[in-house]
Amino acid sequence: MPTSSDERVRIGDAEFPKPFVNGLEFNAPVHGTWNIVHIGFRIPEAHQIYICADNCLRGVVMTAAEMGELGRFSSVVLEEDDMTHSGRIEETTIEGVTDCLRKLPKIPSVVIVFPVCVHRFMGCDIGYIYKELEKRFPDVIFIRGFMDPVMQKRGTTPDQRLRKAMSDIIPKLPAKEDTVAFAGSDMPASENDFKKILEFNAKTVKDTADCRTLEEYLSVGESSLFICQYPAGLMAAKAITQRLDRKYIYCPLSFDFDTVEEEIRQSGLSVPDRFFEDGKDACMAELKKLKDLIGDMPVAVDYTAVPKPLSLARFLADNGINVKTVYLDAVDGNEKADFEYLQNNFPDLILHSTMHVSDRRPVRSKEKVLAIGQKAAWFEGTGNFVNIIEGGGLYGFSGICEFIRLMEDAFNNSKDMRDIVPRKGLGCRSCI
Amino acid sequence: MRKTYRILPVYTGDVSGAASALYEFGGMTVIHDPSGCNSTYNTHDETRWFDKESLIYISGLNDIDAITGNDNKFINDICAAAEIMRPRFIALANSPLPYLNGTDFKGICRVLEEKTGLPCFYINTNAMHDYSKGQSEAFLSFAKKMLRDPERKVKNGVNIIGMTPLDLTSTEIHLSGGYELVSNWGLNTSYENAVRATEAELNIAVSSSGIAACKYMQEEYGIPYVKGLPWDGRPCDYTETVREKTKNYIVGEPVISGSVAAYIKTKTSIDYNVIATTEITDGLLLDCDRKCHGEEELEEALKDAENIIADPMVRLISPANADFIELPHFALSGRLYLKKIPDLMKPDLYYPGI
Repeated sequence: MPTSSDERVRIGDAEFPKPFVNGLEFNAPVHGTWNIVHIGFRIPEAHQIYICADNCLRGVVMTAAEMGELGRFSSVVLEEDDMTHSGRIEETTIEGVTDCLRKLPKIPSVVIVFPVCVHRFMGCDIGYIYKELEKRFPDVIFIRGFMDPVMQKRGTTPDQRLRKAMSDIIPKLPAKEDTVAFAGSDMPASENDFKKILEFNAKTVKDTADCRTLEEYLSVGESSLFICQYPAGLMAAKAITQRLDRKYIYCPLSFDFDTVEEEIRQSGLSVPDRFFEDGKDACMAELKKLKDLIGDMPVAVDYTAVPKPLSLARFLADNGINVKTVYLDAVDGNEKADFEYLQNNFPDLILHSTMHVSDRRPVRSKEKVLAIGQKAAWFEGTGNFVNIIEGGGLYGFSGICEFIRLMEDAFNNSKDMRDIVPRKGLGCRSCI
Repeated sequence: MRKTYRILPVYTGDVSGAASALYEFGGMTVIHDPSGCNSTYNTHDETRWFDKESLIYISGLNDIDAITGNDNKFINDICAAAEIMRPRFIALANSPLPYLNGTDFKGICRVLEEKTGLPCFYINTNAMHDYSKGQSEAFLSFAKKMLRDPERKVKNGVNIIGMTPLDLTSTEIHLSGGYELVSNWGLNTSYENAVRATEAELNIAVSSSGIAACKYMQEEYGIPYVKGLPWDGRPCDYTETVREKTKNYIVGEPVISGSVAAYIKTKTSIDYNVIATTEITDGLLLDCDRKCHGEEELEEALKDAENIIADPMVRLISPANADFIELPHFALSGRLYLKKIPDLMKPDLYYPGI
C-alpha cells in the first residue's frame, strides 16, 4: 500500500505508521504546544542559556520574553568566526556562558545549557565545555540540554532528551513508600484517576510539572513510584527509575476502558469499591449527553490534543460520534491496534497531514465542525474547539468524563480561535 | 562580552527577513533547515499568516542528509511542491548547516530551473545575521532575477522599497504632490505589482533593507533613489537634514530612525542622534550618529542619554533618569508590543509636541 503524497488519505487506504510522504514542510500558525524553553522553566529557579546563531536564537528568546521570563534566560550568539576557527566554538560557549552567569544579580543554583545543531555538526567537545564550566562554577548544577532539531527525525527528539537531562539532577533520596510522583508531563495531573486513587491510598503526591521551589523539585527523588503519562517523558521516567531503583507506570491518556482498568490494576494500588463500574457508567452517561447535544456534527481531532488521538477517534466513533478527520503526520507505534481497528471498521475516516505543502491553502468545509485541539481548530476554521494539549493532565474514567464535558463546552461556547492558537505554550503565562 | 545577551532579545534573523521580504511576491520560499525551524519565523516574525497566504516552507533537513550532502531529496521535494502549488518563482534560503557544508545553492537553482521551468534564485543567508541583511539579500536577488526593462514609464511613478512588517507594521504609504505608487516591496503587494518596479522614475528606500535593490535598479535601469520615509507623502532624503551631536538618542533601524530624527529636527529644531542597532548602515548615518552591535555596546552608548526614543525593551538597559519615548519595533520585541506599534508616518502620535 503506497504512502500518500496528498495531504489527506482515507484511513482504509493509509499506511502504518507513516501515512504521508515526507517532503517540504508547512508550519501552521498554531503554537499552543510546548517547546524546550517552556519545558526547561518547569524546574523552579533554573536559568536557561542558549548558544546559537541569531535566527535560531530568536525563537527561544521570544518564547521566554512572551512568558515574562527573560530574567531566567540568557543567550550567546554564534557568528561565522565561531565556525571557521578551530576551537573557537568551545571558547565562545564557555566564555559566553561564564559572562552570562557573571552578569546575573545572583548565580543560579541550576543552569540549563543549550548547545545547538552546529555544535554537533562541528564535533564540538561538549564534555570539555561542561568540565570547564563546572570548574568555574562548582556550586552550580549544570543540566545538559541540546537544541538540535537536525536530530529529531531519527532517534530521540531534543525535548525527550531535555526531560531526561532535567530528571538527571533529581538525587537518589531514601525512598518513601507513601510518596508517589507524576513525572515527565508538562501538564500537572488534573482530573486524573491516579490522583484520586493515590488520595484513597493516603499517598503523598508529587508532580514534576507542578513544583514551586527547587527544593520541592529535587525532593521528587524520595518517591517510591513514578507515574508517567506523556510519551515524550517516558525516556526520562525510565532513566530516573533505573537510576534510583524505583518502579514506574506508563499510562498516557487512553480512551479504552479496558486499558484504563488494566493500567490501574497493574499499579497494585487499592481502588474504592465499584470504582471501575461507576467510572464506566459515568463515561457512558456523559457520552450520551454529548451525543444528544451535538447529534451528527462532524468532529475533527488533532495529535497535539491527546497522546493517543486514534484511541480517542475510536472511542468516539464506536459510540456514535461522527468523527470525520484526525490530523496527524505519523502514527505512534502504541496506536497500531487502534489504527487497524479504525481501518477495518471506519475506513472512510480521513487522516490529514498538518505539514503537507498543500496545507498552506486549507480547503475548509462549510459545515460546522467540532474540533479537538488547536491544529484541528485552525485547519477547520472553527471557534468551537477543545483547547487542550498533551491530554491536559487528564486520565482514567474521571479524565474521560472531563474530556467529554470539554467537548460539550466547546460545542456550546465558541472561542476566539485567532487570538488563542498563536499564543505559545498553553498553560504558561502569555504576555502578548 | 559582545556576543552575550542578558536582557534584550536578538533582532529577527536573516532567514526570517528573507521570508518576510518575499512573503507577498507570489513565489515559493524554501528554507533549507531542520523540521520546525520555520516556527520561529512563523510565530514571532510574521504578522500576515491569518490574512494572506504565502508559500514558505522548510526542507526538514536531517543529520544524515546534512552530513552526506544529500541534495537530491531537497531538489525532488521542491519539484514536487512546485508541481502542486505552482509558484511564480522559487527562492532558496540557506541556514547554518548547509552553510557549513558548503551546499551549492546556485547549482541547485540551475537544476531546479531545468526541472520545473520556473525562475529560481538563491538568497545568501546563514542565520547568523539580522533581518535587515536577509531582507536586503532577498530584495536584491528578486530584482536581479525577475526584473525586466519596462514597456513604459509611469510619470512621477515611485516604488517603495524595503517595506515589511518587521519594520513598518501599521504604516500605509500615502503619496501626494502628483507622485504615483507603482510598486511596493513588499507590503500590500503582489507578484504583478512587484515586477512593475522598472516602470517607476524614482525609488524610495524606506528601510536599510531596500538600499541594495535601489542601487541595483539605479545601475541597471537608471532609476534614482532617495532614502527615508516620505513625510507628507513626498519623497525626501533624511540624510540631507543636518543634525548636531546631542544626548538625545533614537535607537533602531537607521533609515527609519534617521527619518524620524530628521522630521523632529525639521519640526521642532531638537536634535536626536541615531544609534543604529541593525546591521546595514553604510552611507546611512550622519557624523553625529553611531552604530552599536549587541546589548553591552548599546547599554554603554546610552549611559549619558537625556532623551531616548526606542523600543520599550531598550528601557531595561537605559539610564533611569533619561526620558524614554516608546517606539515599538516588531523586529526586536516581536508580538509583545504589537498592538502598541504606531503608524510611523504619523510622528505626532508618538512624539509629543510636533
